[in-house]
Order: sequence, then C-alpha cells, then structure tokens
Amino acid sequence: MQLSVRELAKRYKTGDGVGGINIEIEKGELVTLLGPSGCGKTTVLRSIGGFLEPDSGDILIEGKSVIGLPPEKRPTSMVFQSYNLWSHMSVYDNLAFGLKIRKMPKAEIRGAVADALKLVRLSGFEKKYPAELSGGQQQRVALARSLLLNPAVLLLDEPFSALDAKLRHEMREELREIQTKTGLTMVFVTHDQEEALSLSDRIIVMNHGRIEQIAQPHQIYDEPASLYVAGFIGKMNFLEGVAEEGGIRIGSLVLPNGKELRGRVTAAIRPEDVQLSANHGTEGVLKGRVKQIMVLGHYAEVTVELAGYGIIRAFQSKEAMQRLQAGQEVGVSISKLTGFPVEEAKAN
Amino acid sequence: MSSKSVIQAGRATAKKTISPETKQSILGLAMVLPSFAILLIVVIIPIVQSFILSLSNDAGGYDLSRYAYLFTDKGMRGNIVFTLRITAITCAAVLLVSYSLAIYMRFNQGPIVDLIRRTYMIPLFIPGVIATYGLINLLGNHGWLSRILETVGVTLPRIIFDEKGIIIANLWFNIPFTTMLLSSALAGIPSSVIESAKDVGVGRLRLFTRFIFPLSYKTFLVALTFVFMGVIGSFTAPFLIGANSPQMLGVSMQQVFSVFQEREQAAAIAFFSFLLCSVLGAFYIRSMAEEEKGKM
Repeated sequence: MQLSVRELAKRYKTGDGVGGINIEIEKGELVTLLGPSGCGKTTVLRSIGGFLEPDSGDILIEGKSVIGLPPEKRPTSMVFQSYNLWSHMSVYDNLAFGLKIRKMPKAEIRGAVADALKLVRLSGFEKKYPAELSGGQQQRVALARSLLLNPAVLLLDEPFSALDAKLRHEMREELREIQTKTGLTMVFVTHDQEEALSLSDRIIVMNHGRIEQIAQPHQIYDEPASLYVAGFIGKMNFLEGVAEEGGIRIGSLVLPNGKELRGRVTAAIRPEDVQLSANHGTEGVLKGRVKQIMVLGHYAEVTVELAGYGIIRAFQSKEAMQRLQAGQEVGVSISKLTGFPVEEAKAN
Repeated sequence: MSSKSVIQAGRATAKKTISPETKQSILGLAMVLPSFAILLIVVIIPIVQSFILSLSNDAGGYDLSRYAYLFTDKGMRGNIVFTLRITAITCAAVLLVSYSLAIYMRFNQGPIVDLIRRTYMIPLFIPGVIATYGLINLLGNHGWLSRILETVGVTLPRIIFDEKGIIIANLWFNIPFTTMLLSSALAGIPSSVIESAKDVGVGRLRLFTRFIFPLSYKTFLVALTFVFMGVIGSFTAPFLIGANSPQMLGVSMQQVFSVFQEREQAAAIAFFSFLLCSVLGAFYIRSMAEEEKGKM
C-alpha cells in the first residue's frame, strides 16, 4: 500500500477536527477528499504532509510510519491552493531549488527543470518571475515544482479553486494526463463535486470530521452510502416513504430497495430517474402539477408539486420539455430510488 | 465682432491652452510644495548655513581648517572612532536581538510569545531621561544590581560612564521600534510560503537565508538606517551615561558649542555627522533602486 492512514484523529481547541480516519491508497491512484468547508479534508491532507501533528493514529507511506517527521523529511510534496511560488525567485529557481537541496548535479537539474516545464506546457518560461505569470501558469509551475521532487505521494490542496471555471476544467484534464503519464500517487482535496467526479479513481466523502463513504465516482453517485452523500453529490429529491416487504412505497408507487429497511424512510431519487407523463390518473403513477420549467441548455429541470409529498424535480429532454407547461397536471413515475432510515435525515 | 464675443473667444482660447496633463502637473506640484517647504526650512537651509559657518576660519576667511581639525586633533579623532564603534556595535546588537525576537514571535505560539508581544513595546513609552536615570540606578557602581551582586561576592564591572552603558541604553531605546518594524515585515510573509519551502526540503538555516531574510530584507535595511541615524546623532544617553572621553559626536558637539563656544567647529561636527548619515542613506536608496531594477 502506498499510503495508509490509520485511526487518525486531530481535535482543535474549537472542538472541530477529524476522528476515526482510515484510508488505504494504492500506488498510482488519484484519490479525492471531498466535502464542504470545515469537514476536515484539509486537516487530513496537512497531517499526511507533516504540516499538522495528529493527536493519535498513524500515517504510513510505502509501509513506513511518518508520524513525527517534519514536512521536509517526508516523501510527500504539496501543491497549495494559493500557488505559493517564491516571488523573489525566477521560475527556474523555483523549480531547481528543491533539486539543489538534494545536491543534484547542475546539468541534471537543468534537464529535469526543462522536462518538468515541458510536461506542464511552460517551456521557455524559465527566466520569468511569478508576478509575470497568470494564475493558471503559476499553478502549473507549482505543480511542476512538486512533480520534480518525485514524491511518493503528491498532495494537492484545492489547487484549482482560485482559477476561473474554464481554466479549472483545462487544468483538471492536464492533471489527469500528467498523473497517467507519471503514475504518481495523488491525494486531491476539493469541495467541488464535479472536480472530484471527473478526476478521481476513488472519492472519499467527508462530513463533520468523519468519512461518510469511500468509493469510485460512479458508486458514490449511484449508490450513496448515506443520506448526506446522497444530498451532497449531484442533485437529489427526497421524499418520505414507507419500507415494506416488496420495497419502498410512496403513494401508489412501490419500488425495490436493496437495503433491509422497515417503517418510515426517506427515499433519495435522482432527477434523471423521474419521468413525467400526461397520464396522471392510473395506478403506479403519482399525481402532480408542473410548477416551473428551467431550461438548462440541452435539457430542462422541471419542478413538480406532488399532491401530499411536496416538490420533486425531474430532468427532461428538449423534446419532452416542449410538451409541458407551468400549471399542467402530470403523472410522475420513478424508475429508481435509494432508501434511508428517517433518523439519518434528522441527524443530518 | 462685439466686445462680448471677443471675451468669450478669449476665454475659450485660455481654456484650450491648459491641458489635463498640465493641470495634473500643477496639482502634483501644489501637493508636494508644503512638504518641500518644511524640508527646505527645517533641513536644507540649516544644513547649508551650518556648512557655510563651518568653512569660516579664525582669520575671517573660508577654508577647510575646521574639518582638518576633526581628523588632526587626537581627542576629536577619538570621538569619531568612538561614535562609529558604538553605532556599529549598537546596530549589530539591536538588529540581532530584534530579528531574533521578531522571528520567535512570528513562528512560535504560547505564553512566552504572548509575554514578549505584550511587553516589548514598553520602553517606547518611557521618556529617555527617565529611562537613562533608571539604568544609572540599576547598573551604576552603587546601583542595586551591584549591591545584590556584592552580597554574593561578585563585583559588577563598570557599565555606567563607560561605552557599555551607552550601548545598553541604545539597546533599550532601539529594540522595541526595530522589533515592531521587523515583526510587521515577517507577518507579511505568508505561512504558506514557509510551508512550501519546508515542503521541498528546506531546513531551518536555509529557510532563513533563502526565504525569511530575502523577503524581509527591505525592512531590515529601513531598520538599520533608523538605528544608525538615531544612534549616531544621539545625545541624552551618551551625555548622562558616557565617560568624559572619548565622547559621542552629539555630546562633543554640544560641548564645543556651549562650553567652548566655538560655533564654527560645532557646525563642522554637525555637518560631518550629516555626511556620515548620508552615506547610509545613499546605500539604502541604492539598494532599493537595485531591487526595483531587478524586478523590472
């Protein structure tokens, strides 16, 4: 195992922190720590990097414990949110500095820096100073600086959050390409679910200092382990239902549910699993009234008020959208749902 | 053309002649003028007057004999060397102590840091004369430190009426402000920059020489300039604590002026002190200009 985090705990004076963190990451994996601000993802990352000393637990990199080691002695490298290029040094010096410390011969340093700049598509920028670069270029230099050190684990702390949406998208693609080329093990922190879903081999969803779920992106999306994950990733409808032997009942609808549940439940339903039809008087269909239609490019988000169940949102194609109008009565059918105990909803 | 239209045409022409750039220049000059006037009255004219006065000789003519005296008279030469030595030692000691304190406060936390942070400014609020008499009471031959040490059989070396006393007083007066300056410079270095340096494997010494010092160098030079100019022209502490000979230039200047009533010679000492300060001022400006040039 390239990185193992075992029973990691860290509490701050404010009471915030993390606890019971267990993570196993294979060599060459890109794993994302995903969660809202204050969920503890950065605490975990900084503990791995040696910038925070945990209260308890162990961190092993390539099988060796790194607890107690300062950042400069750990086989990790961090790409920071705010780039953190050294403003008093040129791009070349920023990249070469770590290699000079490692006493690499000058000729080799020159070659390595040139290769790293080529990898991040910044060849010819050696003599420029950080202040002369754009945000995206600065972050590329920061990435190159970390890559040059050839760390056992590369840590990335929301590296693209300061960039605009287009650039962020480009950088994501570039990072994935670099990761594939170099085979580096990466731990990426983000609060952006789209970023996590598009980049990661696996996602670790965190909430209130605890891990909610560790799984591949599609599993996180399709099979959320908790109501929190269900609500945090993508858009989700929540309806009250009753778990019976045959599945979960919502009005006249009964849908299968993989979990062993009984009694009142909260059903999580993706908008793409909701179908609308003109037929609203038959069995197996819920009766609703279209409240709003929001056009979102090639599809529309239709808000429907269900009699006795509140609001449900459905994604509809352009063609289907044209057959609908606000105030219209519709039949609502659901193709898939995930049930959670009602207590879980209260806890969140 | 009627007389009214001629006046209007004239006004239009006058309006056209003052361009926005000229207006900006006039406004800029008007804003600079008050501070330049103060500089002229308080600094430039007295310096020029002192210089002219220092050139006049006993025969009623003008020459450099007053300056020659500064370097040929054994006592005066001793005063210059003494002043420069005290200034150099003070600058080195103040910057060392202040930099250490500022770094300690910047990169550490806890009760000791809190204590230093709360107390290091106190000397700034104690008037110079009172602080100097306090030091005499503390460190003098019959001061209370001496009396305490006598009880355990230790004799306190001579501190007051010696250069050691002047240096200690200089430290008292200069450390707080210098620490404040350097602390603010160090606070301006983001923690993340330090973290990223550590991340690439930088140890403590290199962290200081390659990151902390270069990123606070500008303020370091400002602090050095302030301490140097303050000490070289200091009077209160050297007058009250210093020995009769050698003397610091400020004390010597006062004696030449009031006791010996040699106004011309005092003016020469004053102008020489000004030249010494100018050397450091020029060094500071050159360093800043080079840094700016490097950035371009």
